[in-house]
Amino acid sequence: MSLLELRELSRRFGDFVALDSVNLSVQAGEFLTVLGASGSGKTTTLRLIAGFDRPTSGSIWMDGTDLAPLPPFRRPVNTVFQHYALFPHMSVRDNVGYGLRMQKVAPAEIARRVDEALAMVRLGDFGGRAPKQLSGGQQQRVALARALVNRPRVLLLDEPLGALDLKLRREMQLELKQLQTQVGITFIYVTHDQEEALTMSDRIVLMRAGRIEQIGTPREMYDSPRSRYVADFIGDTNLLRIDGNELSVRPEHVQLVAAEGGAMPGVVDAVTFVGSTYRVRVALADGQKVVALQGAPREIGQRVAVQWDPSRGVIVRD
Amino acid sequence: MTDRRRPWVIVGTAIPLVWVAVTLLLPYALLLVQSFWHQGANGRPTHDLTLANYVRLFSTSLYPSTILYSAGVALRVTIASLLLAYPLAYLLAFKVQRHKQLLYMAVIIPLWVSYLVRAYAWKIILGQQGVVNGILMSLGIVHAPVTFFLYSTAAVVIALTHIYTPFTLMPIYAVLESIPPSLREASHDLYGNRWRTFWHVTLPLSLPGVLAGCTFAFVLSMGDFLAPQLLGGNDSALMVSNLVWSLFGVSSDWPLGAAVSVVMLALTLTLLWIANRASPAARKYR
Repeated sequence: MSLLELRELSRRFGDFVALDSVNLSVQAGEFLTVLGASGSGKTTTLRLIAGFDRPTSGSIWMDGTDLAPLPPFRRPVNTVFQHYALFPHMSVRDNVGYGLRMQKVAPAEIARRVDEALAMVRLGDFGGRAPKQLSGGQQQRVALARALVNRPRVLLLDEPLGALDLKLRREMQLELKQLQTQVGITFIYVTHDQEEALTMSDRIVLMRAGRIEQIGTPREMYDSPRSRYVADFIGDTNLLRIDGNELSVRPEHVQLVAAEGGAMPGVVDAVTFVGSTYRVRVALADGQKVVALQGAPREIGQRVAVQWDPSRGVIVRD
Repeated sequence: MTDRRRPWVIVGTAIPLVWVAVTLLLPYALLLVQSFWHQGANGRPTHDLTLANYVRLFSTSLYPSTILYSAGVALRVTIASLLLAYPLAYLLAFKVQRHKQLLYMAVIIPLWVSYLVRAYAWKIILGQQGVVNGILMSLGIVHAPVTFFLYSTAAVVIALTHIYTPFTLMPIYAVLESIPPSLREASHDLYGNRWRTFWHVTLPLSLPGVLAGCTFAFVLSMGDFLAPQLLGGNDSALMVSNLVWSLFGVSSDWPLGAAVSVVMLALTLTLLWIANRASPAARKYR
């Protein structure tokens, strides 16, 4: 069932088109990632849904109402900000309880729900602290609790893990996904990190220059990219021009075979050890280069031929 | 590199330190010493140390009442400046998109105009042949010039407010500008409407600037000399600085003048100390 619908949503800043007639339907309970490079319109989309910005045209439908004309404080959505935006002059408890206080919830219930929310993000003992006294990861979890305590219909997350180091980011990715499954709230997650998108999402929306380039499950996006841009943006790939078509082949699907009898002969010209495997680059006779992931290294200069299962070569449009 | 730069660092630090010591600390020290001198019968102070000046200061009602009156004027100036400066700083920081720098300069530019000129301007505006009277008479509201505009406490408060509002505005504007926009957005996102966002987020976060601005307005106007001299007129509207001036310049009672100055200095320093102590409390969670 569709919970939120963007219809012909556009936002222009002067001559610059940040968002160009976007249509998108968000399902109840899904983890939807809006992925894109900077300037692709992903943050604009999020800010329009939150209400921090007004669309130039188009509408945002939820439960039969258009949210577009409503101020942010009348929308049943909450946001986790990129740099958390915790109130520096309030304790962790007061930060988490802020939304409930603004909604004039009874103090006893506020106390109960704040405790619950802090326990949920495993910060039960930190209520009396100032945000400044917490680590980046802890501040991140306070920001989550502060949004989730209001039980929003949709939770908007604006690159919430961007400021954390890689290791912590991976942990938080898992934690976020578990939390989302547990509370069953619809997450709209904005990021430029394709790996993050692949790990957590039910569906990915890849944006480019204010338009949606492709929507699909992580599997679909990875295995069947529709355009060269999608193939290149999500995961590593070889983009090859063969018989007038552009073909995307993932390095892990490229096999190296004996040069004799192979359809596409070439010469190994670079080998890089990447931990669990080797990246072997082969220069084909026509000058194109193909990268293959291999369990064992190859000699530079070795003559080989490349091949792949035909179903692994995806024809992409420009 | 540090070693080669060290002599310059020392010289660069020493020059302003010596300057402050010679032109500020030394005169204050002399003032303090002089306030304990004895005022001789011939009008010349003798160097016998005495507390008589302070006893006279606190037992003659003129001095405490003038200090209180000055504090009252300063308080009114502070409140008026704050009421003008805060909304203006708020508009500049959050509402004005275009020509922001230009507007800010327009607010600050009066600071570059000579203080004397600004005080005299009010004399022209509020005087008997002044702008206000001119308008009132041409509209037929009054038939003879109103005299009480000028030479009153109100005139002093108006002029001082005009002169010191930029000093109040600057720190408030600076602190409002430094509040990340995402904090106000977060409040809106968490169901806080514009008023409640102001009350719960913007205002508390701007308190350090408010405190700094109010301290400027209060301390500067409490010690002001020229506005009461030009616009206060009669003796009842004179402030402490005028009193000090007349003790030094007219009655040649330097020891008593010094004592009044020392009391004022002590009051001002106490106020600055309190403001300084209150400031970290206002931003406990920063």
